[in-house]
This record gives sequence, C-alpha cells and structure tokens, in this order.
Amino acid sequence: MNINDVLVTGTEGAASDYPIDNWGLLVALLLVALAAVISAVLKLGVERRLLWATVRSLVQLLAMGLIISYVIQVNQWWLVFALLGVMIIAAVQITLTRGSGLPKGLVPPVFLTLLASAVLMFSVVVELIIRPQPWYAPQVVVTMVGMLLGNVVSAIAVAITRLFDDMRTRRYEIETMLAWGATPLEAAMPSITSAVRLGLIPTIAQLASSGIVLIPGMMAGQIIAGGDPVQAARYQFVVLAVISSLTALADTLIVMLVYRVAFTENHRLRTDL
Amino acid sequence: MGQVGEPRPVLEVTDARCHVRHGDVQKDIFAGLSLTLYAGQIVDLVGPSGSGKSTLMECMAQLNADADATMTLDGRSADGFTPEQWRTQVAYVPQRPVLMGGTVAEAIRYPFTLRVRRDSSVRVPDDDTLRRALDDIGLDDVELDRSPQDLSVGQQARVCLLRTLLTGPKVLLADEVDAGLDPDNAMRAAHLLKRAADEGMAVCRVRHREPDGMAMRTLELADGVLTDVTGRAAVGVAKTTAASNDTDTTDTTDTTDTTDTEAQA
Repeated sequence: MNINDVLVTGTEGAASDYPIDNWGLLVALLLVALAAVISAVLKLGVERRLLWATVRSLVQLLAMGLIISYVIQVNQWWLVFALLGVMIIAAVQITLTRGSGLPKGLVPPVFLTLLASAVLMFSVVVELIIRPQPWYAPQVVVTMVGMLLGNVVSAIAVAITRLFDDMRTRRYEIETMLAWGATPLEAAMPSITSAVRLGLIPTIAQLASSGIVLIPGMMAGQIIAGGDPVQAARYQFVVLAVISSLTALADTLIVMLVYRVAFTENHRLRTDL
Repeated sequence: MGQVGEPRPVLEVTDARCHVRHGDVQKDIFAGLSLTLYAGQIVDLVGPSGSGKSTLMECMAQLNADADATMTLDGRSADGFTPEQWRTQVAYVPQRPVLMGGTVAEAIRYPFTLRVRRDSSVRVPDDDTLRRALDDIGLDDVELDRSPQDLSVGQQARVCLLRTLLTGPKVLLADEVDAGLDPDNAMRAAHLLKRAADEGMAVCRVRHREPDGMAMRTLELADGVLTDVTGRAAVGVAKTTAASNDTDTTDTTDTTDTTDTEAQA
C-alpha cells in the first residue's frame, strides 16, 4: 500500500462501487476555492482560514485512511488501541483549543472525560450491539470511536466554554450565594445546568433532523458503497442514539469535573477566574 | 444600648492579611490587622476607597481568595467550622444587591434552600413574617409575588439586607448597603441594623456616608493600618457638614480608649 493507491483508487474494497478519483478531489477543492473567493469579495476575512482548514482536512483524512488500512492489514488488537490512544490525545488538544477563555489545569479532566466516553462507546456499541469478529476489528472500532470523539469534542468544548463564561458573568451572584453558606456546587449549579444544556443542543438537533433533511455521513457512505439502505439506517440510528446519550454523559461529567477549578480549596471564588 | 456589664466579644480577628499578585509583583493590601466585634454593637469601618475595607470584610467571612486571618467565633476557633458553617454565622452582605428567583418571597427564602441550613434551627420565614419584615423597613408597597427585578436599587438593597438578617447570623458584615439610598432609606437601613444589634447581633458596616450616630465605634482602615477613630468621628459629625472629608480633621483629638479596643496594625 502506498499513498498513490489511496489517491487513485481508494482503499481496496471500500467505496469501490463509485470510487473518487483525483479529479473528484480537485473539483471539491475548486468549490472550496470558489467559497474563498466569495469570502474575499464580500470581505468576510475567513478565506485564509477556510483554505487552510480544507487543506488540513484533506491531508488528515487521507492520512487517517492510510493509517486505518495499515491497522486493518496488521490486524493486531494492541495497534487498534494505540491508535485510539493517539486519537484521544489529539481530541484533548482540539477540545482545549476550541474552547475560549478557559482556565489552566483542564487537561486531566478533559482527557478523563474523553477516555470514559470512548471506553463506553467501545463496550456498548462495538461489543454489545455490533459484536464484530474479531472483537477488536479495526474497521468497526476505530470508526465508531472516531465518530463519537468528533461529537464529544464539540459538545464539551462548548460546555466548558459556557461554564466559565457563565460563572464569570454570575460572579456577584456566586459570591452572594457563597456568603449565605452555599457550597461551591450549589453556587455553580445554575452555570452547570446551562453549560450542559448548551452542549447538548447540537446533538439533539442532529437526532431530530436526521433522515428528513439530512442523511448522516455514515449512512450515506454505506449506501454509496452498495450496502442495504435499511441496514444502513439501522446502523445509523444506533450510532446516533448512542452518541447522543454518551455526549450527554460526557457533557455532564466534564462540567462536574471542572467547575471546582473556579474555586479555591477552602471554597472561595478565584479572583483570576 | 442599655447593656449592663462588659460587652461580650463574638468575633475575634487577629493577623488579618491580604496579599494580591499582579504577575510577579506581590502587594500587601494589609497585614497583621486585629479587631474584635462585640454582641449588640455596631462598628463602622471607614477609610479611603481602595484601602481594603471590603476585602477585610470578605476576609472575616472567609470569602476572599487572597485574604486570611486567625479568627474565633464565640471563643471557638474558625478551624472547627466548615467554610459554609462559618459563613452562615459571619454573614457578609455585598455592596451590590443580587436578588435571584421569580418573586420577592422566593428571593428572600433562597438562602434557606441551601444544604447548610437543611437541619438548622432557623425556621424558613412564612409569608406573614416576610410581610411584616418588609413593612418594617418601609417596603410596604412591595408585594411578595412581585419580580425582584422590578424593585428600585434602594429597595433591592434593603431586601438583600433583610434576607441575610432573617437567616439569623451572629455577625453581620454590611458592605455599604446604604450607598445607593436616599437619606430616608439609609436611615431605615440603619434602624434595621440597630434593631438586629439590640437583639444581640454583632454588626459591622462599611460606610462612606456621614456618621449616623448608630455606631458605637468607628475604625479607619488606611494604608494597611486599622485605627480606632471613634473620638475623631464624633468631632467629624460637626465638621463634616462643612468638610465632607473627616480623615484630615485635627489629629489633636486623642482617641480616648474607653472601650479597651484593639485596632492596631
């Protein structure tokens, strides 16, 4: 396997009914370039970021494709988990750069949250629902956990950003509540609720709209690859439902793990919040 | 006051200190301050803005992340309290009124919903008690089911003060709660605190207004030093009508230590 295989034919088997050749990639890139031109003409100022993000996504996706096909070829459980580990570490970094106005010391809780949701995803979806052979089948495990991480990263980045934003705007309210004898949890609770809720909104919206205005990528991919559409729909539902619930869990977990960062050990609100 | 015998110390503070850090620069706002608040007394804390009066109050209520002190409450060391228990007894009322909840009644009862009061002896005030308490402080036109956001700032300040008083702390630290009030309403707030003190509460007020005759002692915090200016403040009453600043009045008036007060750095 070399990079040329990936670029010319796609990996063997997958999406082989209608493979995307290099012209296809080029057309897609040209369309992004068109969007960049629009951005430049309208002075939106996002053209550089758009082009950069597009190039990054192309490179990252192709790299991921190569890596997954390598892992499938080697077919060893430890390699699968090593890859998951790298994905989780990258997800920690992406979560923290996406969030804004975050205090220090969030790496351990974010890592723990992503790890916990990945472990749950693996045990529930992969081993309980799909039950692949072998149990660590990389084409199932890596893709499923990858989809989950994508969702969880966006959700918890939103949640923790909102949590600390809200606590900053509620600063006087929090101080007043602490003065009444409220625990840090009681004083932070309104912010916690609003952060968890905000983190969940995209996930719920995605659940409700799937199938009507949107055929999710995974289902689309299976159908294009020649899979049975109804089977693809079942797959997609399981994935969406489990991802939603795990995202909700991750959302709650991260917020409960990090709200204390805003307080000192002896239950006072930090001045440098 | 009409009290016989020695005043009973409630809150004893020694070595109150506050350090703030701006990057690498360490700054002492104050250090080594001592003071005692007695049952049934109102003490005024005055001084130029920025001198750390609010910080000192937050320090006494264990609320300020940069300040600490060695303290006892009724002779019991602060170490024996959780921060939450301590704050129910040494209650700080911040300058900025914050009322949460959909109605005035809900806003006043909010502190009673906290875990720290779940098995406390202080009973949740019923509607009649709230009504009477509001009437008492000139808020007879404020309905219990009104939204607290509709109240004027002055009304909100009094409701906040009332809310904390109803929780029955031993020490009340009122941070400029009369700042936004007109003279009439400021006087009502003062009477509310006076009544609490008469019932045995130790009250400390940060004030910028002219002395209102309620305080038994006046302490001044300036340049990190706490001085008993009770005598001077009395002189200040006469003078402040002309010069609003009573800090630079003659220093010939000696601070006669009738009450064996502390107040030194």
